[in-house]
Amino acid sequence: MRKIMVIEDDPFIREELKLVLDNEGYETAVITEFTAVSDQVRAFCPDLILLDLGLPGRDGLALCADIRRIGRIPVIFVTSRDSTVEELQALSMGGDDYITKPYNVPVLLARIKAVLRRAAGVGEADLLEAGGLTLHLTKGTVSAGERTAELTRNELKILACLMERQGSIVSRADLIDALWDSQIYIDDNTLSVNVTRLRTKLGEIGMPDYIRTRRGMGYQV
Amino acid sequence: MTVREFLADRLGRISLRLLCAALAALFLLSTGTQAGVILLLLLGMSGASGTVLLLDFFRQRARLRELEAVLESLDQKYLFTECVASPKGAYERHLFEMVRRAGRDMTGAVSDARAAQREYREYVESWVHEIKTPLTAAGLLCGKLEGDTRRRLRYELEQVEAHAERALFYARAESPEQDCVIRRTELKEIVAQAMEKHRTLLIQSGIRVETKGLEVPVYTDGKWAAFLLGQLLQNATRYRREEEPFLLLSARTLGSRVSLTVEDNGIGIPAHELSRVFDRGFTGSNGRSRGGSTGMGLYLCKKMADFLDLELSLTSKEGEGTRVTLVFPAREKLTKL
Repeated sequence: MRKIMVIEDDPFIREELKLVLDNEGYETAVITEFTAVSDQVRAFCPDLILLDLGLPGRDGLALCADIRRIGRIPVIFVTSRDSTVEELQALSMGGDDYITKPYNVPVLLARIKAVLRRAAGVGEADLLEAGGLTLHLTKGTVSAGERTAELTRNELKILACLMERQGSIVSRADLIDALWDSQIYIDDNTLSVNVTRLRTKLGEIGMPDYIRTRRGMGYQV
Repeated sequence: MTVREFLADRLGRISLRLLCAALAALFLLSTGTQAGVILLLLLGMSGASGTVLLLDFFRQRARLRELEAVLESLDQKYLFTECVASPKGAYERHLFEMVRRAGRDMTGAVSDARAAQREYREYVESWVHEIKTPLTAAGLLCGKLEGDTRRRLRYELEQVEAHAERALFYARAESPEQDCVIRRTELKEIVAQAMEKHRTLLIQSGIRVETKGLEVPVYTDGKWAAFLLGQLLQNATRYRREEEPFLLLSARTLGSRVSLTVEDNGIGIPAHELSRVFDRGFTGSNGRSRGGSTGMGLYLCKKMADFLDLELSLTSKEGEGTRVTLVFPAREKLTKL
């Protein structure tokens, strides 16, 4: 399990973040004492640190320099100050990413994933399998048995989203939210059109009823 | 100074002197002095005082011209008293001292006002940064709520943030050079930033957004450009039409420059209001009938666009839609920033 350390002075945000990260399957530690931070970091050995720049006492940038001295632990800066100068400063101090408050949780999680992936040097999973269907994310194709169909970017993302949550119902609004996270700006009507096309394509490869509509709730695979 | 002004100044003195001369002549006449002698005497006297007057006139005129030349050559006129040659004579010295004191007082007042303005701006900036922490917490808390309530609350939070952000940029727009770094940025990134900020608003309004050809690099400050674009997105959403609202963001390369067009099929702007849309506080009939318009959005856009050297133009047809075009400068044009 990947370990994340949250260094944030607002107790409420700290606890909420811990909850969110725990739910995502990370092992999370929060810091409540800001005196011997680098010792605490050394003791916990995190894979990633979320560091608030506006800490009491020590300045976050100086803290980052300390952390750098411990070893190569990726750091994402979290701050409410969004001045460009500060961002450049933070990144030049060895931060791996920089995110400003108020952030959107999916975006934060995506950034965490990206930084962890970069640090580990492994690529994103290329294949998604669920219910007899295989989705090739990089090739943009879907296959069932021997038959394969090509998908557009939107269709690919919709299908990936449903397959990742196989078994559970995904509401249309959640689906739209997830697509926006990947910079696909889709509205309700376009979603319907895309799902219809996707179903046709799935039908062509012999899986016409793969995506089920749950009336009033959303879609399910 | 003209001869006339000069003489008008000395009218009393000259008439008094003439009166004295006339009285003296009468007195001498009554005491039996010959008329010819008196005439000679009068001629000599008036010749002498005329010469003095004339010399006085030329001296004063020369002095005034010198002072005027100094004043003209100054960019900051309030530095006048520091730059002129020292005053001649007690009278001029006193005047000079008074002007200098008045000037100093004014400079003090101006710099106090500037300092107060700067402090206020700094306060607004730090306030906006402070408010972001509770907003973040509220956003996190949102995640625990049920779908619909979550979305509605998130929408409201996004509105709060948009207002706070506008205050921040308004404060910053007074001295934008303090926080502006021109970098090569993919236009797509800027659009993504702006869309992210207003996503709940855009999704809930049901507006269809299309993007075209945004994979081009531009040279600008991404944060400011994203804010500017965000204002345009908010406008397009606010003034959308009821059925099938649509928004297209498309980029085109114009030689070494890049233009970004934001066009919608919204309610549009009446032709007679078009010339005033960038004015501060102008809300227009649309803004007034819908409410919630501050008249600040486009004003700020214009201000920032001028600073970032972006060409900002707007065309609109009532009932058909609005199209805003932003032209990003070519890379080599940026040296002056």
